[in-house]
Amino acid sequence: MIFTIFKKELIDTLRDKRTMRTMLLIPLLVFPITLTVFVNVSSSFEKKASEEQLKIGVWGDLGAKYWSQLKEMPDGIGKKKLKTFEDSSALKRAIEQGDIQLGLIIPKNESELARTKQPIPLTWLFDATSIGRQERAESYMNYLSNKAEAIRLQELGVDMEKIHPLIPVYQNCASDKKMIGQLAGGFLPYIFIAFGFIGCMYPAIDLFTGEKERGTIETLLTTPISRWQILVGKMLVIVSSGMLAATCALIGLFVSIEFLDIVQNKEILDIVHGILTPLFIVSMFSLLLPLVVFFAGVMIPIAVYAKSFKEAQSIITPLNFVMVLLAMIGFFPGIELNAMTAAIPVVNIVLATKELISGTLSIGYYAISLGIMLILATLSVVVSYKQFGKESRILN
Amino acid sequence: MIKVSHLRKEFELSRQQQKELNTSDKIALAVNDVSFECQAGKVYSLLGPNGAGKTTTLRMLSTILTPTSGGIEIAGIDAVKYPQEARKKIGFLTGSTGLYARLTPIEIIDYFAALYQVPNKERDERKKYLFHLLNMEDFLQKRIGKLSTGMKQKVSICRTMIHNPEVVIFDEPTSGLDVITAENIIKLIRDCKDQGKTVIFSSHIMSEVDLLCDDLAIIHKGALKYQGSMTDFRQHMEATNLTEEFIRIVQR
Repeated sequence: MIFTIFKKELIDTLRDKRTMRTMLLIPLLVFPITLTVFVNVSSSFEKKASEEQLKIGVWGDLGAKYWSQLKEMPDGIGKKKLKTFEDSSALKRAIEQGDIQLGLIIPKNESELARTKQPIPLTWLFDATSIGRQERAESYMNYLSNKAEAIRLQELGVDMEKIHPLIPVYQNCASDKKMIGQLAGGFLPYIFIAFGFIGCMYPAIDLFTGEKERGTIETLLTTPISRWQILVGKMLVIVSSGMLAATCALIGLFVSIEFLDIVQNKEILDIVHGILTPLFIVSMFSLLLPLVVFFAGVMIPIAVYAKSFKEAQSIITPLNFVMVLLAMIGFFPGIELNAMTAAIPVVNIVLATKELISGTLSIGYYAISLGIMLILATLSVVVSYKQFGKESRILN
Repeated sequence: MIKVSHLRKEFELSRQQQKELNTSDKIALAVNDVSFECQAGKVYSLLGPNGAGKTTTLRMLSTILTPTSGGIEIAGIDAVKYPQEARKKIGFLTGSTGLYARLTPIEIIDYFAALYQVPNKERDERKKYLFHLLNMEDFLQKRIGKLSTGMKQKVSICRTMIHNPEVVIFDEPTSGLDVITAENIIKLIRDCKDQGKTVIFSSHIMSEVDLLCDDLAIIHKGALKYQGSMTDFRQHMEATNLTEEFIRIVQR
């Protein structure tokens, strides 16, 4: 009988365009679209900025060697066109008006400073609101600086290697998998929570508040099936919807990484492939399932209580923000799964998923997290059953 | 057959409801000491103004609501103790057609047949009979959301009758319907009577009651004000017509 209800509710839900949008379409497309747009836009800006020919205004000692070095600088560092200025204020004004993009001030006493082996300040002027200006100035400066350093050391007769007695070597002992888990591991539970919650939301409201609004609950209650069977049948659809939405978002993310050329580093791609083992997927879904049951269990009493779709939506939507805030814990470094955090619902799933990706998940904490979520999921089902059993709640 | 004895229903009032009703009472008495019997092969009408307690009474008969006290027997089954068993014998229909807009009539009928555990062979026979009787063949594959009110009402009737119930409960079945659609309901009530089913329906329209019922009860403020046969009601009325007599009894 539960299957009969589940089947009917699933067909009904799959025919609801609004639910289909939030359950399938948005989760599937959100990552391919946003990541493609983001990567393309940012790379086109970077490309444009690196290929752009900049006009550099120079004021100061034009007889200094930097002038000729600037002229000889290869285009690979950044295409440029040089222009001389007669005073520094005209140089600043030209940048403000956009006539030139970078300004270089060479001290008038450059030759004197060079002769006495003193540091020579080179001042770069730029407009920081334009992308890539400072980076371009730094590239030019590195080129000039390296040249000047080599010349000065040669003049002093010093071997460059001799002035660096210590060579620092910093070696990261964390595995690549752990690094990815630490840096990007917060993202996966965020997807679980955001899409799992939204995936549950519309079916929960539609299958309970919607039935009340449409008056169909009354006819359903006159059939010879118990309320718990109705509740379980409907709840299974809500849980399936939440699982499906989270899975679709993961598929969308995987498709983006695998086929849309978003991750160009082959090593990272190999690590991602290495993580996606059957055991990892099973463990991940074992964390997702109680989380989604918990979401459904929280939403059903609200949907049963609410008299209209709007009322239910207005109560559930703020809860979504709370859940997303909890999901963001995964982005903070230093917060780890331990005996205390494993006992905090939702946070435990966030941290456990993160550690699952890193390959550092302790079985004990995993069991505590899972146990806590299962207890909460069971409690939320009991609360849902009690609410659904109340005459005053189910009949408007 | 339906037997109702000393039926009472109290509702707990929320603070908001207390405010809306301008009362400090925490309990509202919707039905008070109501007793009656509906015989098989007869149509029993529960007549009363809006808010009289008709819907609450019928919801208790159909086991959607549990009585605070009193007894209900449906086709020989104690409906208070064994509501699930009693529901197998009941067909329930309201004026506001509660149907799933995204399903087709055939899907809805199959769904309810499955919920009533009607064997497949019997279900197919009943479907054939009802689809023909109600002239539904042309719109069986269309979604409910695209059907007219009349078509929806036919689907509701079919849903109510798919398990061939012994007892049929109609809660203001013609409310909000046009004359042609209401005629379908009136025909259904007559058919049920002819088939020997127990029929109870609520209404606030005296002419409809006059047309259909064998026995009637007038309910007001949760209590029965009159009950007897329609023939007796006509013979002993003090007012000049049935509607005036109904008003006279209610205001008494």
